[in-house]
Amino acid sequence: MPASQQLLLAATLIFVSALVQALLALKAGAWKQARAQFFLMALGFALQTGFIFLRGEEVRQCPIKSLPDILVFIAWSIVLLYFLVGPAFRLSLLGVFTSPLVTLMQVMAFLNGFAPYKPKGPINALVELHIALALISYAAFALACITGVMYLVQERMLKRHQIGGLFYQLPPIQGLAHAIQRLVRLGLLLLSIALGISFALHLPMTKTGHVVFAWIVWGLYAVISLLMWKHFTSPRKTAWLAVIGFILPFISLWIVTHA
Amino acid sequence: MPEPTDIRSGLVCVGLNYKTTPVEVRERLAFPEAQVPAAVEQVRGLPGFEESVVLSTCNRVELYATHALPSGKDGHAALRQYLIERFELQPEHAEALVLYNLDSAEAARHLFRVVSGLDSMVLGETEIFGQVKAAYKVALDTGTTSRSLNKLFQQAFTVGKKVRNETTIQRGSTSVGSVAVDLAEKVHDLKECRVMLVGAGEMSRTCAQSLLSRGAKSIIVSNRSYDKAVELATEMKGRAMKFDEWEHSLHEVDVIISSTSAPHFVIKPEQIDQVMRKRRWEPLLIIDIAVPRDVDPAVNNIEGVYLYDIDALQAIADEGRRERLRQLASCERIIEEQLEKYGFLKSPGSGGLKLA
Repeated sequence: MPASQQLLLAATLIFVSALVQALLALKAGAWKQARAQFFLMALGFALQTGFIFLRGEEVRQCPIKSLPDILVFIAWSIVLLYFLVGPAFRLSLLGVFTSPLVTLMQVMAFLNGFAPYKPKGPINALVELHIALALISYAAFALACITGVMYLVQERMLKRHQIGGLFYQLPPIQGLAHAIQRLVRLGLLLLSIALGISFALHLPMTKTGHVVFAWIVWGLYAVISLLMWKHFTSPRKTAWLAVIGFILPFISLWIVTHA
Repeated sequence: MPEPTDIRSGLVCVGLNYKTTPVEVRERLAFPEAQVPAAVEQVRGLPGFEESVVLSTCNRVELYATHALPSGKDGHAALRQYLIERFELQPEHAEALVLYNLDSAEAARHLFRVVSGLDSMVLGETEIFGQVKAAYKVALDTGTTSRSLNKLFQQAFTVGKKVRNETTIQRGSTSVGSVAVDLAEKVHDLKECRVMLVGAGEMSRTCAQSLLSRGAKSIIVSNRSYDKAVELATEMKGRAMKFDEWEHSLHEVDVIISSTSAPHFVIKPEQIDQVMRKRRWEPLLIIDIAVPRDVDPAVNNIEGVYLYDIDALQAIADEGRRERLRQLASCERIIEEQLEKYGFLKSPGSGGLKLA
């Protein structure tokens, strides 16, 4: 196994251990805004970064041109955004909900296998930026999805009077609802910039499948964002939209890379 | 300079608490805060005594001291006599005075339990930790502690933190008031939280005070008797509202605490449905303390509304107490381990002091 994949395997195992550690701590009632959780997530992130660096050396470009590479890049972006927005939104348990998704994406990447590929032509920095921003926006939508799950869990416990271990650790639902909105807006902003770059590159929309799908995703999240902004729907429905909405970008990745 | 007393043999604790002594006696034996520095000096000044700390709270009065007297019993007798003379108890009261007399490992164990909140009226409460710290600081500043008690109290604070960090003894709510606060905190940012009292019963006053003490932003009080509403609103630095007006302000508040004596529902789903539209689905916590209930249970089916009646609150508080009781054995085990670590208990077979 190449060194890059060894790093990714180690990162995956670290994220699994972060999840197990968090679940055990929660079960024992000893969850303390976990420094251990933060450390494990940071270690996993460092290993992911190592993978992306080595993989970039292997394919001699930014490794975001095949489905496994894209999955890892999005997983890396999710963890990056977790570090950026988790503390800001006081989402102490975000890591617990993030690590399963990141693990799943990396396992899927391994199952697909990391085939070698070469640059199709000279590397255009704007194209790389366009793709990277689009993928980071997908990571923001993924975090909105995770935050939506947290909202629905907390909402259910409040409605059903199930005041237990997890209840005390999750943030207030009002804060979660606001976090979902901000993450969707952040994702939308990044995707808008990415699509703006595609205009500058004169990428023909009809002949570039991934741009078409990116526009569909943009449209979906623009509608979700509008519904949130104008309060057309309740926060609960908004949370469901954020959760279910992520299915589209997730599927689009597969379609685009296999088209 | 005399050799310092061995903490394991020269330590005594004499005291009374809410379990041993009724409040009418406790209040007579409590040291006013300003008199504690003099009290620690008086205790240290007793013949044969070397160090002292006086802990005086609403639930307990305890004297911790080290001495070089022939036995612990002599130390207990001297401290008992000090309390009788200090508070000028009549002979019949002095005779009826019930104190616990502890020495060496028993005294250390007791202090560790007190600091950890295991000896408190509300199991696992955290206020006592600060109270013991304050009592120790007074003694330290007055100069009545030395190596032995300094070490003992530092050990006690370490044990207290360890117990709280390694168990969940302090987690969960054990009273209706604290459950209300916990719920409000999980729905809103408490600092932005606006509260409305509909009816001014004792229980709703307690809940509102708990919310305000934890930082709730503002309070509106509405009651059939407007004078009573004004009185309560003034006490809580809030705003009074006439009883026929409260419905119009429901959309402006984040927590409603209802406790009217109405024989029928006063808050109905159709009302709250309108309120939620005006609130643009910002979440609303409704605490219904009234019996018979003030709020139609169907209100809980409305999105963004979280309704808790008195039984629901009580059930959560009961579970909180049970959870703390379940943690008790783990806490006691930590304390025993620490007593052994600090040399108060010797391992079996070592021939030293061992308390069951």
